[in-house]
Amino acid sequence: MANHLFAAIDVGSFELEMGIYEISPKNGIRQIDHLRHVIALGRDTYHTGKISYRLVDEMCRVLGDFSKVMKGYKVEDYWACATSAMREAVNNQIILDQIEVRTGIKVQIISNSEQRFLSYKAIAMKAAEFEKIIQKGTAIADVGFGSTQLSLFDKDSLVTTQNIVPGVLKIRDTLSMIQANRIQENSIVEEIIDHELIKFKKLYLRDRDIKHLIGVGDTITILVRKAAESGASTTDRMTREQFNRVYDQLMSLSAAQIEEAFGINESFASILVPSAIIYNRILQMTGAEMVWTPGTRLCDGVVTEYAQNNRWLKFTHDFEEDMLAAARNMAKRYRCGNAHVLCVENMAARMFDAMKKYHGLAQRDRILLRIAAILYGCGKYVTMREFGECSYNIIMSTEIIGLSQSERELVANVVRHYADEYEYDEADIRTAKLTAMLRLAVALDTSYHQKLEGCRMGVRGDNLIISTEYQGDLSLEILSVNTNAGFFEEIFGIQPVVKQKRRV
Amino acid sequence: MAETDARFVQPENFVNRELSWLEFDYRILEEARDKTIPLFERLKFLSITASNLDEFFMVRVASLKDMVHAGYTKPDMAGLKPDEQLVKIGEKTHELVALQYSTYTRSLVPALRQNGLRIVGRHEELTEAEGAWVDKYFQDNVYPVLTPMAVDSSRPFPLIYNKSLNIAALIRKKDGDGEIDFAMVRVPAVLPRIIEIPVSEERVVILLEEIIERHLSALFSNCDIIAAHPFRIMRNADLSIDEEEAEDLLKEIEKLLKRRQWGEAIRLEIEDNTDKRILKRLKKELKLQNADIYQVNGPLDLTFLMKMYGLPDFEHLKVSPYHPQPNPAFMNDDDIFANIRKGDILLHHPYESFDPVVKFIQTAARDPEVLAIKQTLYRVSGNSPIVAALAAAADNGKQVSVLVELKARFDEENNINWAKMLEKAGCHVIYGLVGLKTHSKITLVVRREEDGIRRYVHLGTGNYNDSTAKLYTDCGLLTCHPQIGEDATAVFNMLSGYSEPLHWNHLVVAPIWLRKRFVRLIERETHHASTGRPARIIAKVNSLCDRDIIAKLYEASCAGVKIDLIVRGICGLRAGVPGLSENITVRSIVGNFLEHSRIFYFENNGMPEYYMGSADWMPRNLDRRVEIVFPILDVELQQKAMHILEVQLEDNLKAHVLQPDGSYVKVDRRGKMPLGAQDTFCGEAVAAARAVEARQDPVNTRVFVPVESPN
Repeated sequence: MANHLFAAIDVGSFELEMGIYEISPKNGIRQIDHLRHVIALGRDTYHTGKISYRLVDEMCRVLGDFSKVMKGYKVEDYWACATSAMREAVNNQIILDQIEVRTGIKVQIISNSEQRFLSYKAIAMKAAEFEKIIQKGTAIADVGFGSTQLSLFDKDSLVTTQNIVPGVLKIRDTLSMIQANRIQENSIVEEIIDHELIKFKKLYLRDRDIKHLIGVGDTITILVRKAAESGASTTDRMTREQFNRVYDQLMSLSAAQIEEAFGINESFASILVPSAIIYNRILQMTGAEMVWTPGTRLCDGVVTEYAQNNRWLKFTHDFEEDMLAAARNMAKRYRCGNAHVLCVENMAARMFDAMKKYHGLAQRDRILLRIAAILYGCGKYVTMREFGECSYNIIMSTEIIGLSQSERELVANVVRHYADEYEYDEADIRTAKLTAMLRLAVALDTSYHQKLEGCRMGVRGDNLIISTEYQGDLSLEILSVNTNAGFFEEIFGIQPVVKQKRRV
Repeated sequence: MAETDARFVQPENFVNRELSWLEFDYRILEEARDKTIPLFERLKFLSITASNLDEFFMVRVASLKDMVHAGYTKPDMAGLKPDEQLVKIGEKTHELVALQYSTYTRSLVPALRQNGLRIVGRHEELTEAEGAWVDKYFQDNVYPVLTPMAVDSSRPFPLIYNKSLNIAALIRKKDGDGEIDFAMVRVPAVLPRIIEIPVSEERVVILLEEIIERHLSALFSNCDIIAAHPFRIMRNADLSIDEEEAEDLLKEIEKLLKRRQWGEAIRLEIEDNTDKRILKRLKKELKLQNADIYQVNGPLDLTFLMKMYGLPDFEHLKVSPYHPQPNPAFMNDDDIFANIRKGDILLHHPYESFDPVVKFIQTAARDPEVLAIKQTLYRVSGNSPIVAALAAAADNGKQVSVLVELKARFDEENNINWAKMLEKAGCHVIYGLVGLKTHSKITLVVRREEDGIRRYVHLGTGNYNDSTAKLYTDCGLLTCHPQIGEDATAVFNMLSGYSEPLHWNHLVVAPIWLRKRFVRLIERETHHASTGRPARIIAKVNSLCDRDIIAKLYEASCAGVKIDLIVRGICGLRAGVPGLSENITVRSIVGNFLEHSRIFYFENNGMPEYYMGSADWMPRNLDRRVEIVFPILDVELQQKAMHILEVQLEDNLKAHVLQPDGSYVKVDRRGKMPLGAQDTFCGEAVAAARAVEARQDPVNTRVFVPVESPN
């Protein structure tokens, strides 16, 4: 059968969730079942740093049920991922082991940037709407339980993403430690948020005009639905004015009234207010005129990723371009985004393709190499000498959407090893291969004049032949290639050679 | 939700639900008194009034008594406090019982006699030959199972079982000091209550208690029998389980079942010429008030008439049995899933057969492509083929989840057995939800097909009970609409304890969303009417006693919404009251089949919406039960639903119309063709099935269809 059944599990900070999906070339991705169980893992983690055994027990019971449901549907495969509450819990390895032993489910902890990238993919899955929305200046606000993510688009690719202010669970818990009345409470929340948002605005919003806000998460969905009840708008979007109306109504109600008016339970009602305040501040700061809530969830992103990896589905949106755009944007910030860097990126990519049979790396490594190439000189922003360590630190402390923690570390290491002496015992072979290619790619534009721009690369025998029709002087490049050739040969057993074709 | 005008919620606008229920029993009694109805059918109706009254006492009266004991004095929506209600109920019930017995003795017994069936009311009336036969019957069958019990200073007053029939007697030892003792014998429930005496051409029956009374001296051999009278008591049987404490619901209910025997006595039925000493003794021992004592002129516990209905050879005095017809959508060789894929199917039971529903589950249990079957079971019949199919499905490796509602009144014992059986077979059984009764009727079949997962759903207004489906009028929808399938999946996820779905497509679920939806639907009609647009509501329910819904209906009526209600039983609304409900009519249909379907129609300014479901307009349905109301989306099926409502509104044979003073009168038929809704539906179902048969008959089509080898 051409249909595939897949289960996506999200071990979230507030809920355990499983979606059962059917993936078919004809109908795309279709959700056929969706289970949610509220369990506040986040509360434990943010309070004590650990998840208590009682919750682990409950979690195992629910995941065990999930496993039965998966069997019932005869799913072919599943991905289970855990987010901030598990990520930040010090005892997470023990819990993962418990879960696997007791339920057979392997849960993978994903980094914040992976998580946000997945939920971003889920949004982009709603292709028609999505492409229309991002034609104007757009920001994505994902107000989660553990943290809030703000991402910005430049034209139609995502350029920046920042994990800002604490999430609603954390805010709620902070509030519980302060004795204050409703009005005070709300202004405290505003203060906490503004503090973070102002910095974000100064750094990233200066020359952008945000018209649309894409809201992700349950709380904004509830607000939009409420707006739809009173107004004529559709159930997945609202204007600024409609938001304001719902916001004012929400702020005027007591906790019990909120439950009644919004049709939600008590625990949800308690996070609706802080989360609405966050959205309100974001809207004021960005000046967005319309909010779109695609209503997608992390599980939707997981299945999208899975379908894409298996090449069962094609997406109109180019996610690789998003990652590269984000890296380029970062390079721009550290003043290393110039023609030279573009050239190095090109060289690296071409070299990766030419060496395909010899390096044995995965397709995913190509994009990592390109990102490394884009960012190889970012440390120079801090210091020109021994900038390797600085580059490493900059990359390690900047979120690049779509990169997992280990991938980010890989990129950072490649960049560091580019600049510093290669230390054999520290780096693994994957880092070494990418470092060798990056070094050679930079060497090919030593003069910063993109002389080898149009070169062709190919392996013949033991040589990587880099042939160019450039007629000028290449001595600097050739010298540099020769300097790096040893390391390159050591890694791949192939000698890079620059050949200058003379015109007859 | 807009606030309701205070004037609509005044107590005088409402009728107490218990008194309204008694009105319903009166309407059934009226059927028993209707001479145009075949004699044996009248017996049946009388029997129903009696069994209804039993249940009414055990549950409703009992809980009112509990309230009085607990000092609960909050008035109901009609402004009556529990003790006031009990007084009114007592008065009305005594009248009802008197009418029951005058119907029995003055009308039915003579009529039976005329038709060749003699009921021996007192054993003294037996002929010699009959007496001899009865004596032998007693020796052979009755005597061995009797346990006579005498009461004296060494033996305490015996425990009298709920609803059991007993004979109380006063005895005096032949050689004693003349002291009179109380004695008692229980009429065994294991023996048939009515016994036919086959000694002559004439058909003669006698009741078991009369046979025992005739032989009392054999039981108390050295005593004189001074007086003997049968009596029957009813005990408090209301189940109120403390669910917070009930670790395991199942165990709790098993315990309660045993305890039910021992509740407080709330009613005593006894012959009207009973010896005063017996009456006094019983009253004292059972701690009864005078109002709780019903002295009747005739045999106790008229439910035996249902057995009498079953006597052979009186078919000419009964309505000829109706055979449920196949629904035309299934009259072909395609399998049930293929037929559902052709379009939604609305079944109207019992006019149309319940078989497709059973077959739906049976086919699913065998079908290799079916992954899962999920169902809610409320009241299941003994030897239910559905339960067997579910067990078979689990055996075939399918994921089977069943929610068995243990709290279905009086059926607990039955349900526990099925539940255990299913669990053994490998089904995932949920034993109800804490704090809620699951009343919804829904089945979901998940099937893996060529083009992906497809979900088939059955939604009904009646239980998955193939026996009652022949007697109750119900509707059922079979569909594979993807959005309803999604909702059905969400329902079962919620029943399994997961969070509510992010949104519902079509189904409306109580206790969380249903009340609000009904209020909104009614308010929408009110709004249309007040802006001069067409507005109409037709609703068919079993009971209507929710204060808020009624108030909303008053409001709608005042705004000019035309409202026609078909309410079988309790109706707390006052119809046709000027300034309050001029635009509301209420009718109740009491027929051979028990009206049970719930259908709702809202005109919605020319874009009508039709709903059906498991919920009545009662607080318990809207607030404390899991109920599902589903829309009828298919236009053709909407017409079928409308037809059902229209025919019921035109009924002038079995319909009783509620008057502004709270009484019900039969429809004035002058100048109209007699029309009975149930008969009409029977006729239509037969005609529809015939039409399909005729179309398929090779003689008519003039084409022979060769049968190919299957696959």
